[in-house]
Amino acid sequence: MIFRIAWRNIWRNKIRSLVIMLSVAIGLFAGIAVLALYKGMMNSRVRTVIYAESGHIQIHHREFRKDYEAQYTLGLPAKSLNDLRKDPAVRFMAIRTITQGMLATTTGSAGVQINGIDRAMENKVSGLAQKIREGKEFDPHKKNQVLIGKKLADKMKLKPGGKLILTFTDADDNLISAAFRVAAIYQSENTPMDERNVYVQQTELNQLLNLGTEAHEIALILQQDAMTLATARRLQQQYPALLVEPWQNLSPETELMIDTVDITSYIIIGIILFALAFGIVNTMLMAILERTQEIGVMMALGMNRLRLFLLVFLETVLLTLIGTPLGLGIAWIVTTYYNRHGLNLENMGKEMMGSFGFSTLIYPEFPAEKLVAIMGIVLFTALASCIYPAIKALQLQPIEALRK
Amino acid sequence: MYAINNVHLHINQGEFTALVGPSGSGKTTLLNLIGGLDRPDEGRIEINGIDITAMSANQLIDFRLQNIGFVFQSFNLIPVLTAKENVAFIMQLQGMDKKVREERINTLFKQIGLEDKMDSRPSQLSGGQQQRVAVARALASKPQFVLADEPTANLDTASASNLLDIMALLNREENITFLFSTHDARVIERARRVITLVDGRITSDTAKVDTHEH
Repeated sequence: MIFRIAWRNIWRNKIRSLVIMLSVAIGLFAGIAVLALYKGMMNSRVRTVIYAESGHIQIHHREFRKDYEAQYTLGLPAKSLNDLRKDPAVRFMAIRTITQGMLATTTGSAGVQINGIDRAMENKVSGLAQKIREGKEFDPHKKNQVLIGKKLADKMKLKPGGKLILTFTDADDNLISAAFRVAAIYQSENTPMDERNVYVQQTELNQLLNLGTEAHEIALILQQDAMTLATARRLQQQYPALLVEPWQNLSPETELMIDTVDITSYIIIGIILFALAFGIVNTMLMAILERTQEIGVMMALGMNRLRLFLLVFLETVLLTLIGTPLGLGIAWIVTTYYNRHGLNLENMGKEMMGSFGFSTLIYPEFPAEKLVAIMGIVLFTALASCIYPAIKALQLQPIEALRK
Repeated sequence: MYAINNVHLHINQGEFTALVGPSGSGKTTLLNLIGGLDRPDEGRIEINGIDITAMSANQLIDFRLQNIGFVFQSFNLIPVLTAKENVAFIMQLQGMDKKVREERINTLFKQIGLEDKMDSRPSQLSGGQQQRVAVARALASKPQFVLADEPTANLDTASASNLLDIMALLNREENITFLFSTHDARVIERARRVITLVDGRITSDTAKVDTHEH
């Protein structure tokens, strides 16, 4: 009976109730749209980290990543490398030689990480070939070629064919300088990475470093993203002398960004619903003011305070919840559309987004896993919104209310 | 200045009593005190030996629910409920069994002559019809007594007469005590006891027939 009265009461002033329901729907849509956008951005960032930067897993000598010293090689025999390549969890594998050094031209110099790569393996793991914007990949008939990032090329005023000197320390701690010619300029979605990383042929770098056939880094692309942590743990047990790290360890700022964005998203939804709560409180207060005499009658007839509170609570909850499926529905439709077609945020600042490693083409994703939490926030908003109006109703004395 | 002053009153079971007096004489105040809607500054009110002035607000709500029916001057039906639902309201608050409730509702609507209006909302009923539904609501849970504050004030002659007939019938058939606050001569004429209030004091108390003890 209380539910029936509450349900019918909210339709006594249809326009007022519809305004509130629409406000809740729009507010919820806005909140979920933000969540979907953030989820799309984070998914995009994670995909970039995995498929264009570090891979799912990387393997190094335990000391290597501290100072990137050339002597800390993997030390894995060919059989182990082959076993790793054939691991059922592994889809692609790239083996790299890495050293830190200086890039110098007539116009200036810059600190860089010099990556010695096998072109075929590297293209599968990081898609380097697809990132080339000017020039061509390594010409098998030419020596000492280098691929540099666009940001670095612009800074150093380099074009394909341009000359530069790479200086670094070899495995015996000797200072080595070698001249290279720019084969191609690449551009990824991560501008700082483009500025820091140059790519040369692994055989040439190994020769300069005096490393023979050794390597410093193995990057793995797995069959599925979900396999990452379990595979990393397993491989660590298989190769206890080496350091096996999932992408979450290699790109901790990405993991931090995901956690921060999660919290930020909930805060944004909370703020939206907090603002909406004022509208709901106002509507309920007006409703109670208009029905003062009616409430007095109900109390005179024997409706106790608990039932009266329940009546106000139910009206508030119904008012809030009716708009919820509409908001969810609109959000689902819009996010599904943009998930299929992409949302181009180039005009919002391609450079700025690139500096954080984000693509400008985002595919928002409906945050279905957060729906329970979102509904919890909506219910809490309804509950919080009903308290003040309920208190005003409960404070009414039947005798005074009847006189209104 | 006192709304009610030095009032000593004993109402018996089954009485059909009218409180009369000029405006401001304290009729409605006395009715509200008896109904537990207001509290006296001094004195006691006992109903069936129970001192209601010692009750808390929540106890009074429960007491009203179980023992007292109200009929208001402006009907005060719940507008979002149908006539049937309005009558069922108190019985549902009491937790009455659905079958018993339905039977009681049917009986009452037959007694008030509105069987065909059970599913109508108050806005679809005339003033007289609304007040009859209000009387049915007041009697739904078979209270000890019914307090009616100017029940005929907003009714035309025919409707008022009809309403009084119904209340008199229910008073006789179900032995429910009726206490009216009224200016209406038609009500005063029907009442078997007339208590006159002036400036908060009882100035006369005339019984027309004997009633057994409450």
